[in-house]
Amino acid sequence: MNKIWAFLMLLSTLLLLIKNPSALVTEMTESAMGVINLCVELVAVYAIWLGILEIVDKTGLSEKLARLLSPLIKFLFKTTDPEITKMIAMNISSNMLGVGNAATPCGIRAMQLMDDKSGKATPAMIMLLVVNATSIQLLPTTTIGLRTAAGSASPTDIMIPTLVATFLTACFGISLTLLIQRVFKRRKKKSYQTT
Amino acid sequence: MPILIAGLMLYARFKKVETYNVFVKGAKGSINLVLGIFPFIVAIMVMVALMRASGITDMLIRLLSPIFNALGIPTEVSELVLLRPFTGSGSYAILKDIYTTYGVDTYVGRCASVIMGTSETLFYVATVYFSQTSVKKLSYAIPLALICNIFGTIIACLICRVL
Repeated sequence: MNKIWAFLMLLSTLLLLIKNPSALVTEMTESAMGVINLCVELVAVYAIWLGILEIVDKTGLSEKLARLLSPLIKFLFKTTDPEITKMIAMNISSNMLGVGNAATPCGIRAMQLMDDKSGKATPAMIMLLVVNATSIQLLPTTTIGLRTAAGSASPTDIMIPTLVATFLTACFGISLTLLIQRVFKRRKKKSYQTT
Repeated sequence: MPILIAGLMLYARFKKVETYNVFVKGAKGSINLVLGIFPFIVAIMVMVALMRASGITDMLIRLLSPIFNALGIPTEVSELVLLRPFTGSGSYAILKDIYTTYGVDTYVGRCASVIMGTSETLFYVATVYFSQTSVKKLSYAIPLALICNIFGTIIACLICRVL
């Protein structure tokens, strides 16, 4: 992330110096102001979803969900920790229902719990990122809303293709991650044996 | 979604959960959560804005659309595919543009809709998710997730041809 950011910032600044130097500071300020708006919105939206998630948690529903998904989570994330399992279960289900704003707080919490303070992303953390990036979508709520607003004849027409496409993508993402992690593990073992 | 929330409220009543107090307790965490991720979002958004203003985005689109075409991704959606990893609100704005320019129910319109499902605002999610951890080295996480998203885009374009 550090390298990507530094490289892209340097390249854009240099290009802007040639093209339009006065735009640099304005662009930066304007985008940061946009983030303020976004964050004000996020405080409101996260407040609602964190409130609802707390109710879900207190009713014991999240434990039930966690128990239901625990075989899958154990297989993918190699963890049986009840708190982590619960957070990942809520993260996955919120994503599937198209409520990304409920998924994010759970995802952040799960990442914190899985952190081993080594400064490096663990295999389980990477798996969570991939699972989030390729999540299966049962209800693409926002897209359907936008299609309705744009005057589509059948806004929900894309649900089945989205479901099929996201399912295939999720399978691809998970298998690829498992494969890479297996290769890395074997390589580590080998270098351990030779030294 | 309304049915789910109504169901939850009923179930909470049945379980004798003090919904009001519990809701407030949960909602309280929101401000601190957003305060924690705010600087990370600023960093990513400033980068995206500068990339757009400096013309890097346009250059990338011009450079990558032949490759996208070869993979079966139509040129009309390349801007969406390219900006989607960086910004959620930005990509929804592009999606709206695609709807008005090419029509909602056309192949391009449907294709763009499905791409929104198979791809993710990856850089944003990665920044936010890892922001509260000790992680400095993401190792292969970003390239791996990007490959998955490109695969998803190709699949989306293929499936829209059939379904």
